[in-house]
Amino acid sequence: MIPIKYNLRSLWARKVGSLMTIASTGIAVGASVFALGLSAGLDQTLEVSAGPLDIIVLRQGSSSETASGVSEAVAREILALPGIATDQQGRPLAAPELVVVTYLPRRGNAGSANVTIRGALPVSRDLREGMKVVEGRDFQPGLREAIVSRKLAGRFEGLGMNEEFVVQDKSFKVVGLFEAGGGATESEIWTDQKVLAQVANRTGGTSSVQIRAASKAAQETLLNHIKADEQIALKAITEVQYFADQAQAGLVLRLLGQIIAFFLTIGAMFAVANTMYGAIATRAREIGTLRSLGFGRGSILTAFLLESLVLCLVGAIVGCLASIALTKLFGGQSAGTMNGVTFTEIVFAFSFGPNVLMKGALLAVFLGVVGGFLPALRAVRMKVVDALREV
Amino acid sequence: MPYDASDSVVQLLDVSKEFMRDKIRIPVLTNTTLHIPKGDFAAIMGPSGSGKSTLLNLAAGLDRPTTGRVIVNGQDLGVLSEAGLSRFRSENLGFIFQMYNLMPVLTAFENVELPLLLAPLNRAQRRQHVEAALRIVSLADRQDHYPRQLSGGQEQRVAIARAIANDPVLLLADEPTGNLDATSAQEVLDLLELLNTQFGTTIIMVTHDPKAARRAKRLLHLEKGTFVQADIEALETSR
Repeated sequence: MIPIKYNLRSLWARKVGSLMTIASTGIAVGASVFALGLSAGLDQTLEVSAGPLDIIVLRQGSSSETASGVSEAVAREILALPGIATDQQGRPLAAPELVVVTYLPRRGNAGSANVTIRGALPVSRDLREGMKVVEGRDFQPGLREAIVSRKLAGRFEGLGMNEEFVVQDKSFKVVGLFEAGGGATESEIWTDQKVLAQVANRTGGTSSVQIRAASKAAQETLLNHIKADEQIALKAITEVQYFADQAQAGLVLRLLGQIIAFFLTIGAMFAVANTMYGAIATRAREIGTLRSLGFGRGSILTAFLLESLVLCLVGAIVGCLASIALTKLFGGQSAGTMNGVTFTEIVFAFSFGPNVLMKGALLAVFLGVVGGFLPALRAVRMKVVDALREV
Repeated sequence: MPYDASDSVVQLLDVSKEFMRDKIRIPVLTNTTLHIPKGDFAAIMGPSGSGKSTLLNLAAGLDRPTTGRVIVNGQDLGVLSEAGLSRFRSENLGFIFQMYNLMPVLTAFENVELPLLLAPLNRAQRRQHVEAALRIVSLADRQDHYPRQLSGGQEQRVAIARAIANDPVLLLADEPTGNLDATSAQEVLDLLELLNTQFGTTIIMVTHDPKAARRAKRLLHLEKGTFVQADIEALETSR
C-alpha cells in the first residue's frame, strides 16, 4: 500500500486548495448538522413531553388545546371514570386545564409572537414529571402570579424573574422560573387555572383534560370509553399521539434547513472533485512513478480516495464544531419557532447527539467517496508511459 | 554477436510497436530483436523518435508491443495481466528517470523505502535495505532530507538507491544524466558502473550523451525503429 503519509503530506503541500475544500465540506456538513440538530431538537422536545400512559381529552375536531373546549360538567364526569391512576392520597391524576394564548413582544425588538399560558391545578404538576421550579417560588392560587419556563423567560419581554406581563389588560407577576426536562412545557407560562379563567373570560370550562391511566389496559379502556360516548362529543388521544401530530411544528424551518444543506452538499461535492482532479493532474508523474515501481491500480485508487476522505472528514469535524459553537454563541442552544398546529412559539434546544454527528460523518464519507471517486478513477486509468511524461 | 537466449535477462523477439495519432499509424519499432545477457550494461542511443524510450517501456512492461514478444528474466510479459505486470516490476525491475521522479513530500529514506513496501519485509528489514542502498550511493547522512533539500545529483543518487533497494535483476535508466551537470553526471555514471561490475546488475540505459554511453559495455544504436551497427570504439573515434 502507498503510505498514508504520502497523501497527508501532499494535502499539506497544497495548503490553499486543501483548506478551501475543507472549508466547503465544513460548511456543507455544518449546515446539515445544524438542520439535523434542529429537527432532532424539535422532535426531542415533543417526545419528552409525552407520558406513555397519559391521555389528553379535547373537543371533537380540534387538533390542539388552543382550539379546544371542555365544559366543567363534562370534565367532572371524565375525572370520575374508572382506570385513572391516583396519587398517594387517592386523588385521581387528572386535571382539567385551561390554555390561553397571549401575544408578547420578543426581547431585543425582534417582533412579537403567541405564547401559551396554561391555567393549571396542583395536580397538573404531578402529571409533568421532571417539572420543577428552579428559581423563585411557585405561584399562589388566587393571585395573578405566574411561573415561566426558564427558556421562555430569556426570549420574551416581561417574562423574566419579577417582571410583569399582560393578559387581557391584566398584569401577571413572574414569581418563579421552571424547567421541565426540555419538553413542550418549557414553551409555556403557568398560572392558577381559576385566575386565568377569570382574566380570559373563560369561566365554566377548560381547554382539555389531562389524564394519567393506571395501566396500558386502562389507557385503552379510557380511550375507547370517551370516544364511544357520543353525548360528550370529545376525543381522547394518547399524549404520544398528540405530540406526534404536533411534530409538524417548524416544518418550514426544517425544510428550509434541509434544502440549504442539500445545495451546499452538492457544491461541496464539486469542490472536492475539483481539488482532487487538480491534485491528480499536478501529480501525474508521481502517479506514473508509483505505477512503474509496482504499485497496482487498486493501491492508487485507495490512496486517492483516502486523500479525498481525509479532506472531507477534517471538513466534517470543522463543520460540526463550528455548528455547535455557533449555536451556543447565538442563543445558548435555545431556539424558537412557530408551532404550525397551535401557532404559538415553541422553544427547543438544538440536539447534537451522537446520531446527528454520525449522520454528519456519514455525509463527509459520502462527499469524500463521491467527490473523490471520478478523479481517483482518472488516476487509475492514466497510461503509465503518458503519466511519466507529464511535467 | 549472437547470445545464448537462456542467459538473457531481456529478450525482444521480433517486436514491433505502432502508435495511432489522429487515425494515422506511426511505426516506432519495426521487427526488432534484442537480447540483453545477464550482467550486461547496454547503452541505447539514437535520435529523438527513434524508439529508445518505447523500447525501455516495453522491457519494463509499462507498454505492450503491437506484435512480437518481450521476455524479461524468463517471464513472457505478454501473458501477464496489469496486476501481474505491476507485481513483476516490483519484484524484478529498478527504474532511473531523467527527472529523478522522487516523491517531493517524502524524505530520501521514505522514497527509497517505497518499492520495499511491496515486498514481504518487516519494518526492520526494510530499514536495513534502505540504509544499505543509501550507503551505496553515499547518501546515508542525507536520509532525512526532502528532495528539495538535495542537489540534482543527490536527488538522482537517491533515485538510484530507490531503484536498487529491492535488488532488481534489471535496472532501466532513461537519460539518467540528462538533467545533471558534468560532475554530478560523472558520479551517477560511476555508480551505475559500480552496480554493474561489483553487484552484477544488468543495466539498460537510454542516453543522448556519448560520454555516458562510453561507460556502458555495449552500445546499441536505434534509428527509425531498427538497430543499426554501432560500437563503443566507433563512439570513441567519432569524438
